[in-house]
Amino acid sequence: MSMRGRRAALPWLLLAPPLFVIGVLLLFPLGRIVWLSMREYGLRELVSGDSEFLGFDNYVALLTDPYLWNVVLLNTVVFAVVAVVTTVVLGTLVALLLVNLRVVPRVIVISCIMVAWAMPVVSGTYVWIWIFDVDQGVVAQALMNLGVIEEGGHNWFADRFWFYAIVTLNIVHSGFPFVAVTVLAGLLTVPKELQEAALIDGAGPWKRFWHVTFPVLRPVFAVVTILSTIWDFKVFAQIYLMPGGDVSGSEMLNLGVWAYISSFGNNDYGTGSAIAVILTLLLLAITIVYLRSLFKDDGL
Amino acid sequence: MARRPLLTHAPLPAAALALVLAVTSCGDGGGDGGGGGDISATDTLTVWIMEGTNPDATGFFEEANEAFTEEHGVDVEVEFIPWADAQDKITTAMAGDTMPDVVELGTTFVPDFSDAGALHDVAPSIDDLSAYNEEMLEMGEIDDAVYSVPWYAAVRSMVYRTDVFEEHGAQEPENWEEMRETALDLAEAEEEMIAFPVPGDAQYSVMPWIWGGGAELAVEQDDGTWVSEIDSDGAREGMQFFTDLAMEDDLSTTGAVNWNEIDVMESFSDGDAIMALLGNANPKAIVENNPDLEGDIGVFPIPGQQEGYTDSFAGGSNLSVFEGTGNEAAGVAYVEHLTDPDWSVRWADETGFFPGGVDELQEYVESEDPTVRPFAVQLDEAGRATPATPEWGQVESENIIVGMQQDILNGNATVDEATESAADDIERILNGG
Repeated sequence: MSMRGRRAALPWLLLAPPLFVIGVLLLFPLGRIVWLSMREYGLRELVSGDSEFLGFDNYVALLTDPYLWNVVLLNTVVFAVVAVVTTVVLGTLVALLLVNLRVVPRVIVISCIMVAWAMPVVSGTYVWIWIFDVDQGVVAQALMNLGVIEEGGHNWFADRFWFYAIVTLNIVHSGFPFVAVTVLAGLLTVPKELQEAALIDGAGPWKRFWHVTFPVLRPVFAVVTILSTIWDFKVFAQIYLMPGGDVSGSEMLNLGVWAYISSFGNNDYGTGSAIAVILTLLLLAITIVYLRSLFKDDGL
Repeated sequence: MARRPLLTHAPLPAAALALVLAVTSCGDGGGDGGGGGDISATDTLTVWIMEGTNPDATGFFEEANEAFTEEHGVDVEVEFIPWADAQDKITTAMAGDTMPDVVELGTTFVPDFSDAGALHDVAPSIDDLSAYNEEMLEMGEIDDAVYSVPWYAAVRSMVYRTDVFEEHGAQEPENWEEMRETALDLAEAEEEMIAFPVPGDAQYSVMPWIWGGGAELAVEQDDGTWVSEIDSDGAREGMQFFTDLAMEDDLSTTGAVNWNEIDVMESFSDGDAIMALLGNANPKAIVENNPDLEGDIGVFPIPGQQEGYTDSFAGGSNLSVFEGTGNEAAGVAYVEHLTDPDWSVRWADETGFFPGGVDELQEYVESEDPTVRPFAVQLDEAGRATPATPEWGQVESENIIVGMQQDILNGNATVDEATESAADDIERILNGG
């Protein structure tokens, strides 16, 4: 092999190990899901291994199901938008607070918010369920004592709005520390001269943030927004573990939970996989749109 | 120069390859499939046992397994699986080829798994199948094959606090109206307590009221299709009665909409509930949780709408051996070991369940224990099973009856609306829609 040929092959050889790992851990399961989504695959097929090819029947059935549009997709999208906006705004506010603190208080506040981040999802979710317990929870007890709700309590887990309000609290609580710390790292790199120049020009705090800080940190915001969007679209445990979050056909499901319940609750792995493929495509589309807008602005 | 870095990377793909080989080779463990050879081929037997509403079972299995190891030279590893996760765990294990050798299956799941072909036919290995409870055995019978063996029977009846009843001069009610009035009186006398929790996430607490109203969950027609009677007048009357106890008479609590049978049991063992629909293993588990309640627990069969008894769900568990693990012979031996009269009676005594053997059950019907006999009477005279069709498992896993009950309790649907949509769903599933 010529020197040139070797040089061309080198990057691929270096890339081979990670590509191999990605192939085994990611591409193979992904391909398998796509394959499953075009088959009639239930408990019996699971045991025998033989299954019937259906083409796009599973997808057609899904896309013509009003349940997808009125319940699951609506839940997924509205929840993700609300949760991402809340997480990023709150995280940014906390970062702005942190950047103005002295070293010792800053370390204390960062340690506190890290606890929220480090909380395992399952324990965190159960804490929220406990806080909002319909009979004994602190929120119910407080509201009952204040006379805001009547003595019998209110089953917020049965109400789509309140159900997702609790999920949003849970997600924002565990998601904002990441945004805060990332934005803080960005804020520390904004040159002081820019801020001072704007100050001399008579810009108030809001204008300084919006016209100086934000443009400089644009890539940072793009990254935390994309990541939060992806995370919030595929929220699973925080919904599945809530009372009523695991009931087939309930109006509380999002795409991820629906895919799981279709597969493992109803033993319909074909439909479950088709839902998972739709979720994946949706996430890919969002990521592409974000990446394009990010790279266009930076002239990359 | 170009080669050196390559060498340092070489171990990674090798390691990944080793990982893949290790993962795939797990699946080949049960290569010989069919017969499963003889017992000596097995070193360790893996057994999945359910846990949830029954008392702690670790001690029982330590001794039962020791006896089995002594006799057959095979070690047994028991893993406890919560009831709520059982189906997910079993199906994922089947998909990943990591099934246990022996599994406890709730009777309602048996037809589904038997039909799927995942289980080992035990008919050739067990001599006398007539020794077992017939209805439970039927759940796992397809033609001449038998895919599960009855282990213990469970039934739900009314469990109540004898001390509270005595204090307020209440009597065991003998029909629905008396039951409602008793609960109303007690609710008034004991304001801090829940007179009768009406759970939303407990389908077996719902079924009796449908049956009690004179309806069936689903009936097979001559042409082989199924018709659900959940939307019949009788079933609606039963559902109205049951849910009105919560909605109109306020005898339950708002949070109970999210409760399953375990939550109901916990409210009873916390001393909150006065009467509750509970299973025959619950009194022992309740005393285990809260020893103060010893001697204060009474039981009566669910009273009939006018007189007699209301049918209650008679379930329980069968033991099955998985096909294709290579340990089938040892698995069958273990099933025989647990279901033999000695160990099954001992299990029944320790848990409060009833043995799956016909002769063994008789003793309990004649028992003088006030927390045993009423359950045995319920099972003997007023026990009923869910429709014996493989598709019924899907009605349960899609939570059709739970959904109906919660829709009514949350005020999202009237009894008429909820029962109608439940009947439609059941017919769709059972008729292969």
